[in-house]
Amino acid sequence: MLISWDWLRTYVPLTCSPGELTARLMMAGLNHESTTAADADWALDVEVTSNRPDCLGHIGVAREAAVLFGLPLTVPPAAANETGPAVASLTKVTVRCPELCTRYTARVIRGVKVGPSPTWLVKRLATIGIPPINNVVDITNYVLLECGQPLHAFDFAKLAGPEIIVRTAAQGEKLEAINHHTYELDAAMCVIADARVPVALGGVMGGAATEVSAATRDVLVEAAEFAPMSIRSTARKLNLHSDSSYRFERGVDPAGVDWASRRCCELILELCGGELAAGAIDSAPHVAPREPVTLRLAQLKRILGIDVDPPVARKILAALGCVERSAGEREVIVVPPTWRRDLSREIDLVEEVARINGYETIPEDVPVKMVPSTRSAVDRVAAKVRHVLTAAGFDEALTPSAVPEELSAPYSPWTDAPPLRCSVPVLRRADLLRRTLIPSLLEARRTNESLGNERIELFEAARVYLPDTDALPREESMLSLTSGRPFADVKGALEAVAAAVGGTGSASGAGAKVESSDYTHPLFDAAACCLTLDGEPWGILGELSPAGLKQFDLRGKATVAEVRFDRLLEIARLIPKYTPLVAFPAIDRDLNFVVAENVRWADLSATVRAAAGEHLERLQYVETYRNAKDPQLGRERKSLLLSLRLRSHLGTLTGDEADAIRNRIVAACQQRHGAELRA
Amino acid sequence: MPLAEFTAELSAMRAAAEAAFASAADADAVEAARIEFLGAKAGKLREAQKGLGAVAKDDKPAAGKHFNDAKQAIEAALAAAQERLNAGGAKQRTGPAFDATVPGTPLVLGHLHPITQTIEELKDIMGRLGFVVADGPEIEDEWHNFEALNIPPSHPARDPLENFYLSTAKAANPAGKTSATNEPTLLLRSQTSTVQIRVMEKTPPPVRIIALGRVYRPDTADATHYPMFHQIEGLLVDRHVTMADLKTVLRLFASSYLGSDVHIRFRPSFFPFTEPSVEVDMSWNDGWLEMGGAGMVDPHVLQAVGYDPDEVSGFAFGLGVERLCMRRHAIDDIREFYKNDVRFLQQF
Repeated sequence: MLISWDWLRTYVPLTCSPGELTARLMMAGLNHESTTAADADWALDVEVTSNRPDCLGHIGVAREAAVLFGLPLTVPPAAANETGPAVASLTKVTVRCPELCTRYTARVIRGVKVGPSPTWLVKRLATIGIPPINNVVDITNYVLLECGQPLHAFDFAKLAGPEIIVRTAAQGEKLEAINHHTYELDAAMCVIADARVPVALGGVMGGAATEVSAATRDVLVEAAEFAPMSIRSTARKLNLHSDSSYRFERGVDPAGVDWASRRCCELILELCGGELAAGAIDSAPHVAPREPVTLRLAQLKRILGIDVDPPVARKILAALGCVERSAGEREVIVVPPTWRRDLSREIDLVEEVARINGYETIPEDVPVKMVPSTRSAVDRVAAKVRHVLTAAGFDEALTPSAVPEELSAPYSPWTDAPPLRCSVPVLRRADLLRRTLIPSLLEARRTNESLGNERIELFEAARVYLPDTDALPREESMLSLTSGRPFADVKGALEAVAAAVGGTGSASGAGAKVESSDYTHPLFDAAACCLTLDGEPWGILGELSPAGLKQFDLRGKATVAEVRFDRLLEIARLIPKYTPLVAFPAIDRDLNFVVAENVRWADLSATVRAAAGEHLERLQYVETYRNAKDPQLGRERKSLLLSLRLRSHLGTLTGDEADAIRNRIVAACQQRHGAELRA
Repeated sequence: MPLAEFTAELSAMRAAAEAAFASAADADAVEAARIEFLGAKAGKLREAQKGLGAVAKDDKPAAGKHFNDAKQAIEAALAAAQERLNAGGAKQRTGPAFDATVPGTPLVLGHLHPITQTIEELKDIMGRLGFVVADGPEIEDEWHNFEALNIPPSHPARDPLENFYLSTAKAANPAGKTSATNEPTLLLRSQTSTVQIRVMEKTPPPVRIIALGRVYRPDTADATHYPMFHQIEGLLVDRHVTMADLKTVLRLFASSYLGSDVHIRFRPSFFPFTEPSVEVDMSWNDGWLEMGGAGMVDPHVLQAVGYDPDEVSGFAFGLGVERLCMRRHAIDDIREFYKNDVRFLQQF
């Protein structure tokens, strides 16, 4: 809201500088945006919050200034000299949609002389960026910016008949507005019409056909009140926003409608001459009185934490226009002014007292109660995960929750249900809520490839949005990775994550156990798997196939994984328990088996564990070796090298005991898997 | 000279010499010790040899033996020191040249996103102030995002253009059939205040929480706007909570974050879910820096969750994480956060 400094001082005798004024206004709720010099005047730009439409006019801002500086506020009387015939003999108003137009007033002035406005008026409007049109139109603008009540003047002679009809538009009805654009209207919009056609879009903009011009002799002055919701929807539908619609959307002073009409007529008579018809047509002259509001004085201390002297509080409320009904020791009852619809509850009065009294009086060093707070399990697990992944060389990415079709459609490991869609895209074309993070990370991978970045190791912990039959969709936290390293490296990172959260595994079965099973998907290579964590589904992991790389427009190799964060929460052992260390020495034994290609580590290792018994402390996979030219291996067989650590908690194992265990393992593996020892 | 005195002096000298050679750090120190103890003209051993003449004749064989022992021990200490110092050098001379300026084997560490780092710090500070972290869904219904927060249907904040409403199931899946007839209207939450409501609905007062997470508003992405960003929101509801408590907690918070004592300034503002509502500034380089919005929880909000506004009062505040993070790290474009250029990520 732009304010002319000169104009403002016609209502309040300020002796301070514009800078002092804007500083005080800012601390009372009107944020200062800028101050610009304008032809011996200053244009002060202040931000008016949506709850304070009363400050969308100079008088409203002047009232705030008067309260803050303890100065009197002078509001013009708006006494227009009515010398003409009764207005009812000249025109008639019918409001057919009182729910959209809650009040309509009309006054008529005949015999005006339309011409340029005087310099003072042109200058004041120029300060706040309003170009001059002609004296009548300038006056309607002036009064709008004086009190915040929009006005419109019709060329009375151009109306088809003397009657004004306020109605909803016929579907498809057209109106050329004064901006010379033609709008097609719908049945939810409120129009001001004459006997034939709409002549104005109620509360938004006047029509071109009846606008005041140099030839105008008689004018009809409209001051009305329109329903905020209807104005907002009309302005939005037509993408037509005006000073009028802005104010009606926020609500005008219901008692100020008539004042504005009289003020407008007073100025027209003064600057354009003419004869004002007696009285006004008013569709709803009765303004509902405001309900009184009780302020329990103890609430000031209870909410603000400071003592405000009751006389000070009462003085503030009175200066703001509240009329005191009664004042006792414990409470005051006031009737708020009509222009302050935002004041209807006790807490509203508390805020008024607080902001005028000044928030600087509230201390910033009171004792605040101490209470314990515990870090949540989610946060603790997340911290462990981040430690592991950054140690493993992964950078953390944050990618948008909404994705375009090409990132949503190709892959959805968690659900077959179509993605949730936003009614407008969150980012360009991205209107689908993602069901997996993998495509987003691959997109980030592609961005980095195109930037020539070499090491692209990314992880993200974020939610996916899975449609559900419940009221709210299922939001699941996922941990997702993308890497240029091969399958085994990423699997190792995930196993490390599981171990960090669930404890390190051992032969006794303690700790988190990551297991894999086959996974086939066109976007993935053979090196891909489903993962379980302690027996429950955890996620997927794999190297992208050539088709997968092509799908996401990637040049280099890419491995991806996505696992359920909540599964980590379920298996988390945030406070590990000490396992007593066995003092007896361990014995290590290596085994190099030759097995058929279809023998899998998971099966062989299970046999090893079962055969080894209680003394197996650790079973380590070392490597797989293939060599078609090796006579013992050939094309159909591979060698698996594994390492055992054996230890007894009862005493030192002897070499013979260790060999016996080893022999049991060899026998079992041969029997179950046809494994033979490497020659 | 009595034999005892002679041997005592000799032992002391021998110990001093052994210590000197053992602690000699370089060749110069070894040479200095050699001159001091084994010097041909004025070495201490030479001095001791002179003392040998003054020993009684009967004692001479014993004294001589002591002297020879000491001499051998000191010479051995010299040899040991020389060998010790030469050891490293000897290798250098035999193997290829060693270049100590070659960098170490790279240890490639990943980096946490700066937004995560900021969030973790904020959580940490608020945790020390007794606030526990609470969480809620990002897809919300209108009750939690608006109504319970005192934002009635007529409020402009509910405008479809101001929010990311979800299309109905039917629109999202034109082929599918609508099963539920009265499906609730859902949207991406526009503020983390929704979590306040969810927590208060389930928890009787006192409540002392922070909520953190992604929020969504239809802004066109530019250097300072992004349609998705992160908010931190604090809520304290209890008996006798005042605006002075709010100001104090924010001062403790800002001082902890900046590591120096700062002051807090309130400017009146308007938010539907708080009253009084304020913009919060903190003192910064002789000026004021905008922190975020705050206020006392509106009685309507307390009522909406079943609290009695005459029994309890509370405050709430909300800060934009991106803004704090950008200022702290001098980042001038919010879009960098979501581009995930590893050269950006690796700076933090």
